[in-house]
Amino acid sequence: MSQVKVVGAVEIGTSKVSVLLGEIVGEDLNIIGHEARTSRGVKKGMIVDLNLASECVHSAIMAAEKAAQTRIDEVYLAQTGSHLQGSFNLGTTNVSASDGVVRGVDVDQAKEDAKRRNLPDTRTYIHHIQNPYSLDGQPVDNPLSKQGQRLQVGYWSVHGDSRIVGDSLRVIRGIDLDVGDMIISSIASGVVLLEDSEKEAGALVIDMGAGTTDYVLYRKGYIVKTGVVPVGGDHITNDLSIGLRVGRKSADEIKCKDGRAYFEPTDKDESVWLFGDLTIGDRQYPLGAITKIIEARVSEIFEIIKEQLSEANLYDPNDIATGVVLTGGSSRLNGIDEAASRVLGVPARVSQGPLDVNRDLRKPEYTTSLGLLHYALTGQETTSQRPKPVGIFRRLTSILQFD
Amino acid sequence: MFTDSTGSSESLGADLKIKIIGVGGGGTNVVDGLKLDNLEGDVSLAAINTDAQALANSPLTEKLVIGRSVTRGLGTGGDLEIGHRAAESDREAIGEMIAGVDLLLLVVGLGGGTGSAVAPLIAEVAAQSDAVVIAFATLPFTFQGARPQRIAEDSMAELRSRVHGLVPLPNDMLLQEAEEGASVLNAFSVADQWIARGVNALCSMLLKTGLINQDFGSMRSVFRNIGGKTFFGTGSAAGEGYVEAALESLLTCPLLHMGDRPKELDRILVNVIGGADLQITQINHVMSQVSNSFDSREDVVFGAVIDENRHQSLEISILAKSDLELVSALELEAEPDPQVAAAPEGIDPTSALEALGLQAEIAKDNRPPRVVHQSKLRKQKKDAVGQDEFNFIDSEAQRGYFEKSDRNLYNEEDLDVPTYLRRGIKIKIKV
Repeated sequence: MSQVKVVGAVEIGTSKVSVLLGEIVGEDLNIIGHEARTSRGVKKGMIVDLNLASECVHSAIMAAEKAAQTRIDEVYLAQTGSHLQGSFNLGTTNVSASDGVVRGVDVDQAKEDAKRRNLPDTRTYIHHIQNPYSLDGQPVDNPLSKQGQRLQVGYWSVHGDSRIVGDSLRVIRGIDLDVGDMIISSIASGVVLLEDSEKEAGALVIDMGAGTTDYVLYRKGYIVKTGVVPVGGDHITNDLSIGLRVGRKSADEIKCKDGRAYFEPTDKDESVWLFGDLTIGDRQYPLGAITKIIEARVSEIFEIIKEQLSEANLYDPNDIATGVVLTGGSSRLNGIDEAASRVLGVPARVSQGPLDVNRDLRKPEYTTSLGLLHYALTGQETTSQRPKPVGIFRRLTSILQFD
Repeated sequence: MFTDSTGSSESLGADLKIKIIGVGGGGTNVVDGLKLDNLEGDVSLAAINTDAQALANSPLTEKLVIGRSVTRGLGTGGDLEIGHRAAESDREAIGEMIAGVDLLLLVVGLGGGTGSAVAPLIAEVAAQSDAVVIAFATLPFTFQGARPQRIAEDSMAELRSRVHGLVPLPNDMLLQEAEEGASVLNAFSVADQWIARGVNALCSMLLKTGLINQDFGSMRSVFRNIGGKTFFGTGSAAGEGYVEAALESLLTCPLLHMGDRPKELDRILVNVIGGADLQITQINHVMSQVSNSFDSREDVVFGAVIDENRHQSLEISILAKSDLELVSALELEAEPDPQVAAAPEGIDPTSALEALGLQAEIAKDNRPPRVVHQSKLRKQKKDAVGQDEFNFIDSEAQRGYFEKSDRNLYNEEDLDVPTYLRRGIKIKIKV
């Protein structure tokens, strides 16, 4: 007899709130409903108006529930925003047994050591993501029963501002739902867009939304770094609005109609119409004005990512053999792959979305939510293997371990 | 809705005293270069600086070296603290300089040690008199570094809370208006030209013989409140089709497109300068086009003056006030905080966090649930309004679309500001 559980994957994005309903039956996941609507009260991935955001999220959740004629048991929530920070922590222990064979207690000891680092009061851990073990300096996948003296394990730990994290929880609790887990957007997106072999070869997933650009770097199959650049499509629109001296709406239309992520010298001689419908107030612009403004912004985003990877000594094109995989609403921008490739020096492609789901759900706005459902499913499996009550990190790390 | 008082003799401002003061090196440079020809009233130009040497080179007659006791006349070397002390030490002399002035125009380059410190003090002194104070302030280029930016921002916040009108002119943005391949020196002088046009528009409207003269009273009514936001824009054209071209040039003025202009402005002052060939029908056309393009809640005050030296040439300038910030701040004060009121009850954030297994240190200290994201901006405003209902400081007022979110600093650059502006990439928008 398998239990049925309905999970609501909720992403409160800057431009869209998306809700996916997944029905988990044993080890199977069926997607039974989806709803996406224009977000309100959110800027740069963070809630700036709790009322507006709550209203919007609640109505999306209720609409999804109504359409699927079901009730959500548990919500999986995505988290982004510039308040998220990460650090790499290494835990070390000496193998306790006299025969030098690693036992479970040693592994636990090493893990504990890595997570010992305390945060200031205002910060809350969201993930501890396990990286490979090393035994006497040699990387090993599973150290149990192997012989050695010094066991080390690294964690990429992500933490956020407690108030902001609490705020998004409050939005969900405001409609009387429990939050089963909170997962940062980049990790959720990455998990559904990459094959295991791609993670193994090394890949950089960049999720460009309206307010933020989230990225996750996989190296040898492990998540070694995540990050958030609080800049997204909204900024491109704003730049165009200021540079071309048009309203935000027109700027957004120009971005979609004529925008390109990189500038080409021939753009100078080409001109485009603001509206192109022969109305009064229509103006002509050199295409170069548009592409120069966008190029400056987009390449800056990629440069910041490159800088952050370099600072962590993780920028090595050889270790990113799969290249850059772009997703998110702003990845629809013409030429974004080329722009990413130019700056980051590795091949880049725009993801077509996970192929194993319905066409509707391949749109970038559902990528993160699909990732949340993935974790809702795999998280279940692993908790059944580990009966002890576990918090979010341990559950997540166990997923990553067995994934 | 037009308040036009057609040229009574009073409106020529017989007793009106206008003083334009350049503050610091940058401000003095601009005032040095001002050419206010054919003005019939009492307009005097003056300069205040800590650097005696620089001031000696200024052709102006009324000059004040301040803070000799502090700097020995050697300038502040970019040190704001020295600037403050210098200004404070000569508060009296500053008071004398602005005594009896009706309209005080301050011209200052923010980001250095003198202008940034002295201009707010002058405004403070002037606030005790009856003068209308309008400040034109250039903001440093991004490439000048983070420190000048910060100084400029702080100083601007101070100024904003003390003057009737503050026109910020970001150099990054004005660089866009310089000729292709212009040197930095040229770029600086672009800002000077813009200020000159603004100052000229104001003075000529009040003092020049014109088709439609405005008196000081109507100007005072536009700038009756301290604080709020001021928008300045100007456009000009000559030759064939100059009326339409000047309108177009005004509508695409970069200063009116910084993304922070509210849909509806509260009061607008429009001034048109044309040649003797300017016809009243053309003025009417300009008036209706401008009022169509810029919605005003209250008044549109129009002035039109003739400059004999012009032919087939037109310059349109607008200065507009928006008290929006002020209104919303007062409303906020009146209502219970909607965010607090609507926070879902019965939810203890501690348990919510713990349910997730999150380490919720902050929530454990039994403080009442804090409303996250009650934006700092609003909070600031509320406090300020509490102290003095017109005297709130709003350093974020220039941030446009992103102004309610947290600042976006990375390597000391504000990422919310367009990249092309920060990097000085020139965008040519004319086909």
